[in-house]
This record gives sequence, C-alpha cells and structure tokens, in this order.
Amino acid sequence: MKIAVCIKRVIDMEMRFRVAGDGASIDETGAKYDINDFDMYAIEAALQLRDKAGGGEVAIVSLGPVQAQEQIRKALSMGADRAVHLAADRIPSDGLAIAEALAAELRDGAYDLILFGKMSIDSSGQSVGPMVAELLELPLVAAVSKLDVQGDRGTAGRVLEGASETIEFPLPAVLTIDEGLNTPRLPNLKGIMAAKKKPLETRPARLGEQRVRTTSIELPADRPPGRIIGEGVAAIPELIRLLQTEAKVL
Amino acid sequence: MPNVLVIAEARAGQLRKVALEAMTAGRALASEAGGEVHALVAGPPGTAGLAPQLGAHGADVVLVAEHAALENYNGEALTALIAERTRTGGYRVVIFSASVHGRELAPRVAARLRAAYASDVITVALEGGSLVARHPVNTGKLTATLTTSASPAVVSLRPGMFEASAHAAAGRVERIEPVGDPSASRVRVTATQQGSSAKLDLSEAPIIVSGGRGMKAAENFRIVEDLANALGRAAVGCTRAVSDDGWRPHSDQIGQTGRVVSPDLYIALGISGAVQHIAGMRTARTIVAVNKDREAPIFKFADYGIVGDVLEVVPALTAAVKEARKGH
Amino acid sequence: MPRGRALPIVPAKHQPELPIDRLILRDAPDPDAVPMDVIFVGGGPAGLAGAIELAKLIKRDNDAGGTLGEIQIGVLEKASSLGEHSLSGAVVNPTAFRALFPDVPLAELPFRSPVDKESVYLLTGKRAIPLPTPPTMRNHGTHIASICEIVRWLGERADELGVNIFTGFPADALLVDGDAVRGVRTTPSGLDRTGAPGSGYAPPTDITARVTVLTEGTRGTLSQAYLQWQKIGSENPQLFALGVKEIWETKRPLDRIVHTLGWPLPTNAFGGSFMYPLETNVVALGLVVGLDYHEARLDVHELLQRMKEHPFFRKLLQGGEMVEWGAKTIPEGGFYALPSRRHGNGVMIAGDSAGFVEVASLKGIHYAMHSGILAARTIFDALKRGDTSAASLKAYDRAVDKSYIASDLHARRNMRLAFHRSGFFVGGFKAALMTLTRGVFPGGRIDVEPDASVQRNMDAVPGFKPDGMLTFAKLDAVFKSGNATRDTIPSHLIVGEDVPAEVAEFYTHLCPAGVYERDGDKLIVSPPNCIDCKATDVVGPRWTPREGGSGPRYRRM
Repeated sequence: MKIAVCIKRVIDMEMRFRVAGDGASIDETGAKYDINDFDMYAIEAALQLRDKAGGGEVAIVSLGPVQAQEQIRKALSMGADRAVHLAADRIPSDGLAIAEALAAELRDGAYDLILFGKMSIDSSGQSVGPMVAELLELPLVAAVSKLDVQGDRGTAGRVLEGASETIEFPLPAVLTIDEGLNTPRLPNLKGIMAAKKKPLETRPARLGEQRVRTTSIELPADRPPGRIIGEGVAAIPELIRLLQTEAKVL
Repeated sequence: MPNVLVIAEARAGQLRKVALEAMTAGRALASEAGGEVHALVAGPPGTAGLAPQLGAHGADVVLVAEHAALENYNGEALTALIAERTRTGGYRVVIFSASVHGRELAPRVAARLRAAYASDVITVALEGGSLVARHPVNTGKLTATLTTSASPAVVSLRPGMFEASAHAAAGRVERIEPVGDPSASRVRVTATQQGSSAKLDLSEAPIIVSGGRGMKAAENFRIVEDLANALGRAAVGCTRAVSDDGWRPHSDQIGQTGRVVSPDLYIALGISGAVQHIAGMRTARTIVAVNKDREAPIFKFADYGIVGDVLEVVPALTAAVKEARKGH
Repeated sequence: MPRGRALPIVPAKHQPELPIDRLILRDAPDPDAVPMDVIFVGGGPAGLAGAIELAKLIKRDNDAGGTLGEIQIGVLEKASSLGEHSLSGAVVNPTAFRALFPDVPLAELPFRSPVDKESVYLLTGKRAIPLPTPPTMRNHGTHIASICEIVRWLGERADELGVNIFTGFPADALLVDGDAVRGVRTTPSGLDRTGAPGSGYAPPTDITARVTVLTEGTRGTLSQAYLQWQKIGSENPQLFALGVKEIWETKRPLDRIVHTLGWPLPTNAFGGSFMYPLETNVVALGLVVGLDYHEARLDVHELLQRMKEHPFFRKLLQGGEMVEWGAKTIPEGGFYALPSRRHGNGVMIAGDSAGFVEVASLKGIHYAMHSGILAARTIFDALKRGDTSAASLKAYDRAVDKSYIASDLHARRNMRLAFHRSGFFVGGFKAALMTLTRGVFPGGRIDVEPDASVQRNMDAVPGFKPDGMLTFAKLDAVFKSGNATRDTIPSHLIVGEDVPAEVAEFYTHLCPAGVYERDGDKLIVSPPNCIDCKATDVVGPRWTPREGGSGPRYRRM
C-alpha cells in the first residue's frame, strides 16, 4: 500500500497572538511550531494501514518554509518512509493555490491513498484536501473518524450534526482525517535516529494563482465585563428572557 | 447581474436550519448588490416540496434536482450539479453552509470551477468589486478578513452566525437535471444513523452545562444532566477538580489541560472560575454562571450571573427551560 | 491546639528517602538499546554547551585525519521541546558563549540587551530605599536574556553539528554495571493513573553510552542518586533557594535592572527580588528565598504576590498583564557544597546538578556552560585514549578546579552561608566583610545543616486573597506556566506516610504550584499541577521522573 500524507507546520496555539506590523499576519517572534494536530491522526492512520497491508510506503508531503523540515523529520521519526518538502517562504491564504502545488507533486505518485488532517488548526479552512481530490479527480471522503480498508475498497464513518453516516469508496482516494480515528504514536528514540537517514527531497512549491488574500487579521474584542442579573430562584425569569431575546440561544 | 446561488442543505426530507441561515445571508448579499437569490436543493423525488419554504426565506428561484441516488448525501453528483449550474447561471457568489457536508462539497466545487473560496465565514459582503469575508482562525483566537475579486466566489457560512428570517419572494420552481448519472458515483453513503447514537461530544455541542466543586457531590450531577436534557443538544462538562475527585470522567473536563470548547451557550454551575478553567471555555458565545459566592471570578466573565445555591437554582431553571422550550 | 501555636516541625523527619533502587538499575541494557557514544542527560546550558563543544572537537579531529570516526552524541531532554523547563533570571555573563562561539558576533548571540543601568533597593513595607550596588552584584558587561531563548538557540547550534537531540524523553534511571555507568533508561509514557499501560503507551527505552553526563539542572534526581550510591559527599550539604518568576507586559517601560532586599521577606530568611526589562514594556520579575527559612507558613509565591502590591512594583505593573509564570529551585550552597568528585566510571556531573552557581552575583548559566565545555574536553581526550574509566575522566575535576568556576565560587565561599543562621542584617554585615576581604574573613568554613533539618515554626501568617489582576492564586499561576501535564498520569511524587497536619500545611505553602493542599488533617496531592521546581524534593515529598512532555511549557523565562 502506497500512501501519501500531507502535513502542515503550524504555530503553537497556546502562544499569545499579536498582530504583526503588516496588520495581516501574526507576529511570530519567539513562536514554537509543531505538526498540525489533525495531521497527526492522518500520519498514524497511514502507518497503521501500511503495517496492516504488510508493506508499502508512507510518504510525507509538506508545503512550507525550510523550517518545516523539522516537522517533516518528526513525521519520519514516527515511522514514515520518505518525505518531500515543497519549499515556499509563506503558505498562501488561498487553499486552491496550495492544492495546485500538492496536486502537481502527487499526480504521478501512484498513491493508493492520499491523506490529510481534517483541517489545519491555524487557517482552519478544511479546503486543501477536498481541492486536491478534485484536481486529481479522485474519490473523496472528508472528516473520517472510522476507517477500514480491504484490498481496493474502503469503508469510512463520519459524524454529522446530530447524525452519522457510513461511506464506501474505491481506492485510490483522498481522505481527510478527523480526531478520534486513532491515538497518534509518539516518536521513539530509534525512530528519531532512523529519521535522520530517511530520504527527504526538497523542491520549490509550484503554487497556483492566489485568488484569495488575507487583508487583515484582528484579535477578538474583549468580552464585556460580567453582569450579575439577580439572586437565587427569583432571577430565573429574567435569565430566561435574556437568553431568548438578547442572547437568542434558547 | 450579480446573482447569488445558495446551496440549501436538506436531510431526511427536511431543510436543515443552516439552509435557512444561508438563505438569509444570500438574500442580504443579493439585495445589496441588486441581484437575485437562487436556491438549489437536491434530493430524492419529492424534494420540490421544500421549495415554498425556501421562497418564504427569500429565494427568487428554487432550483430543484430530484433523483433516487440523491436520497443520501452524494458528493460527486452534487459537485457536478452545482459546478455546472454555477457555470451556466453566471453567479457572482455561491453560498454553502459550513456543515460537515458543506465543508466537503464547497472546496471541491470551488476547485472544479477554479474559483475563489472562503470557508467557515462569519460575515460576508460585496464591497466594490470584491467579496470580503471574515473567518475565525487559530482556534478562534484571531479573525482573518479574506478578500477576493475573483468571480465566482464560493463561501461556506459558519452555522449559527446568521439568524434565519422570513423574506417573502417568488420562489419560482425550476427543475434541473443531475449532471451525469448520480447512481454511478464512486463514493456512496451506505447508511445514515439519525440522531447520533453516541452522546453529544463536548466539541460539537452547541450548549454545554458544566459543574464544578460547588455541586458538592457526584450524585448532584443528576440535576446538571436534567438541565442539559431540558435544553436539548447539550452536553455536560466539568472542571478539573471535579474529574480529579472522580465525580465525572476526565473526558468531560473543560479547561487548559482538558477540552477547549466554544459553544453558543455555556452554563457554569458551582464553578469558581480559575483561569485554567476559563481558558477552556472563554470563547463561548454566551456564558451563564450560578455560584453562591458573589466574589467568584466566574462572574467577571459571565454575561448573565445568578448568585445563589446551585442545588436550589438549577432544578428551578430546568423547569423554566422546559416551559420556555414547549413546542420545540 | 489553635493553629498558630502548634509545635515546630523538622521537615527531615517526614521526608521519604530517594528511591535509589529505582534510580540505579543493575539490569543489563535492553538488547534493542539505542547506542550512543556520549549522552548528556538534560538539554539545558550545561548539556548543550557540552554537546556542542564535543561535536566541534570531534569534527576538527576527524577533519585533521583523526581516527575517532562517527561519534554519536545524544542530549536527552524531559520537556517536549528545548527550553520549556528552563527558568532563570536572567542576567548572563557572556564569557562561556565567547569561548564556545568565538566567531559569532555578539549581536547574533541569544541575548536581549546589555545591562546598562542597575539599581538595588532595600524595601520596607511602604518605601524603597536606594542602596549602593554591592560589588558582587555589579553587572557591567553582562546581558539580559531569557534562558528559554538561550536554550533553543544552543539547541539549533547543536543540531547543526549533528548532535542527536531527543526532546520529551526524561531519563528514569542510570544503567550501571559494577561501579560503571553504562547509560540510562527513559521513562515510559501513556501509563494510567494506577501505573498500568493505557492507550498510547510507549515503553521505556535504554540508551547505552560510553560516557553519561548528568546535566539535569537543579536538584537532579539521577545526580543525587549517583552521589548517594557512590557515597560521594561534600563538606557542607547543598542548600537551595526557591525562585518564583513572572513575566509581565506593562504599560510603562523599565529602564534598568533592579534588585531588592528586605520586605516582604522576614528578616530571618535569605533572599531578594529581581526585575529585568526583557523588551520594551515586557519585564521579568521574581523573588528568590532560601529554603532554610524558619516559618513553616512562609510561601514564596504568596510573598511575590504581596511584593507586587508594594508601590514600587505596583506603579510599574498596574494596568499590565501577567503573561507567564514559573518557579524553580537554585542550588546556592556554593563552594563547600560541591561534591568531592564530579566524575566516576563512565559518568560526569555538570552545571546546576553539580552545584556550579555563585549566589552572591546571582550567576549560574556561564558556569553551567563552562563545566559542560570542560566535561566535553575531558570526554574527547578519553575517547581518543579509548578509556572512559574514572581514572580517565578525573581530568574533568582537575579542569573545573583550575577554572574560573572554582575560583569564583571559592572567593564567595561563605557569603551565602553567613545568612544560614544569622538572618538578614548580621548576615549582610558578614557578607560585606567577606567581599572586602575577598573571602578571607571569616576564615575557615561556616558549618550549615541541610535545609530539611531546619526547624520550622508554626507561627500564624495573615491571610492573602489575590485579586486576579495584580496578584494571582497558585492554580491561576500554574495555568500561566503552560503546564501541559496529562491529568491521568500516575503520581510521580513520593510523599511520606501519615503526614501530620502541620507538615501538610508546610507543604501547602512550600509548593508554589498548588500540588499540595491541606484539607483538615489530610494532605491532598494533585501531581499534574507540578512544574518540576523541585522545592519539595529538597525538604519534603520526593520528585521522580515522569512521562515526557509533562510539566511547564515556558517560553520566555
């Protein structure tokens, strides 16, 4: 089984975000980075599928700055076999521009499966995986939280709003992986050592045209100060009224 | 003409609430730009019956595609249908709901059309020649403004951000044919389980009722659950102190080291509001707190605070919620 | 008995032993062990400087036709990424950086800014009285820095040199054979609360090495275990202080480094505060108190909170925001507390683990780095000889003894000790005499007892209620440390049995992270709160290594 997993280097979400001088990006001074959370489930799924199939290859593909090689190495240390780094100084806001670069890389790879995390927790677009499927004209299942592959067919499960569904698909296919599918393994020491010797190719990302731009980013307004509306059971009618008419959540 | 196409999501013969929200957003956009709103709804035979409701929410035209193989969600057939219709209809903007299905479909349609795509937006407007949309990023800690002058532009709308409102329009039904054979799709939904069998996950629940040490004992969480049941689509959470005491499982813990949630409504019961708990729920849209200590830090964050004994207030609140929700 | 009138306690009576049998393993290494030539246990300034120096020496030698060939150097770090467990003031003497990176211009070293102005104040409850800066505390030529940033930068340099950096892997035990150290075993991860393998379980890994360098930092667990196992003593017991530190974004800039003495510490406690500008409108401030204090209810975190209410600090901090919090112990016993040897068969101890801190000038980072460098030079020679026995590694001790580490510590050998029994004013007078006489006064060595043996009075202290703006409760503070510990890990703390209520009370105040709470007569322990400061390990419950990546996630400490 030959599987590609597309991963993204993302900034540490616990940092205190500050808007950079350009007003449209984050001040990344002193920031830490890691593999996007959802991509970890995709890597783990790929490793399990490869091992279950008794062989094959897991290739990591990551588009981003040269520092993304740190995250690529981590994926290799988890057990992936090789990696391709598509070098781009900045990751564009337009998912389609990214998808075009990834599709160009993946098109002739003869992959049985191309996996993505359901979304990147920084840009939160959930767009690149489905777009790659479209550009490669491959079957697509997004937000997979259950997965079984037998031969050249797969069965996936996903959770909808208030429902869930089971999906059957043929291979090759593109899947985006939701949390809960598995527990991603931690790299072990042997894996870290081995990763240093695994092949990592770098080539420039052939980004597509950028149709969408981030023109500004802002921090959310501070919450208004809290308000005590009353005491004890007597305050309940007022609470119900406010929830219905002001907050509109009832 | 700057017309807007709204993809109206239906499931099990019903329009979903998000479909009406998308209609309202589409109507506002089209009215401002002086164009029409067309709604597209696809499903099994009989789907045309949903058209009047779309008309009542502002659809000038309701495009109806009926096919037995559209009974369940059929991503490939829908992609083909919507992309083709967008192309022939010359729409300026195509609006999806940022639901699970919408977030699979919209980027795929955008890619087929080589169109600009803005996902999960909370506002959308046409300003001059550009479409401007705002989209929460970095787990909601920042909001990005996306701008595109490309046409068509595809957007998906975050559920709950646009209040569905009635707007009488012609709702002229126009039947359209699927593109290709929907029953030939490679990807098939083979089963749908209505009402998620599993309990509502904290990260998905629009309402969370959460208890802290102020609940005094594990068995008192029964009244927390009662309130959640009365609210409907609500999950129960807790603080770290509570899960450490074994009153609730660790998976229910909300906070810095537990789950980080941003529901529409968060009800904090007997929770003092340590920063580590606040970190897990501060992005909730509306926060209600009940605590007997008027000085509790949670009241600094609560939109609506009630000072009182949770064991008295909560059962009364449950009764009041049941009364208020009669008919839902 | 009313709370305030309880009998004094002696912490040592309630302190469990270090679990030597768990920390020193005679098991043969696992056949699947990861083979390294040299492993540094702890990715702080000592370990990374050592790894960098060793990698450079080997490269130079190989380039010159040497026969060492490929030497695998590893650095094990318990934090999930470098720097996350490092905390210091910090005003750094750049000497060791100069030695390690002679070709790197000053502007590229990981410092924030040179120390330009400095002030020392004596605080009273209401006033701040300027003092002349004591000679030992003069900081001309030093640089304000964040040790987190220093460590990350050193890590990048080490990585470039091919050093294997393993983050998220705490060393759990030394693997020994006879008196020789053969490597380490890492902690398992993914254990459930009962200690049984849970989901995501990863077993321990053995790492073998010809030389294991213990650079664990303050109160290193394996370092303690090794010294105890090999019965290596010191003239005086090591003394520790606890520092609690906060980083603030302020509305106003601070234009100098500031140290204060006096209030809010009781006069019978040793310590003081520091406040450094990290960047425009970002300041680091902290309070350091010797753990030989006499009041069981003395609470360093709480004292820091009270201190911020002093007009001197309040006027700078008010309206700002506390963005990061952390705590760590500091070995401050100085010269007489150094282990009589810092090497053995296949093993060396460097940095804070060996006690290379000079408390009068509040410096440790350059000593740590320099000791790592000296260890590396010794290892290089030993590898060339093919002999890593104790006799071969002994050169390290000689090198340290001849270096500025030993001479600086010797010059201030009694300064900290003067305060051990004397209190602030008498101690301060003695220290001034020592400075004037360059350590000749008082002659000989001042004898001290271990921190844990100091009797603690149970005098009542006034209650304190944090306001959540300027002052913070411990749990809120722990949140600001970025503590990422899984809630369901088994306890890594060894607490004495049947701890009396008064001792529980002592632990409650001692631990800055709210791990211990007294509930009536019971002691409640919340191990996930622990931020690895090691304070209780000195005088109370023992700290042992736990799952990798647990503990704080410091960014700019």
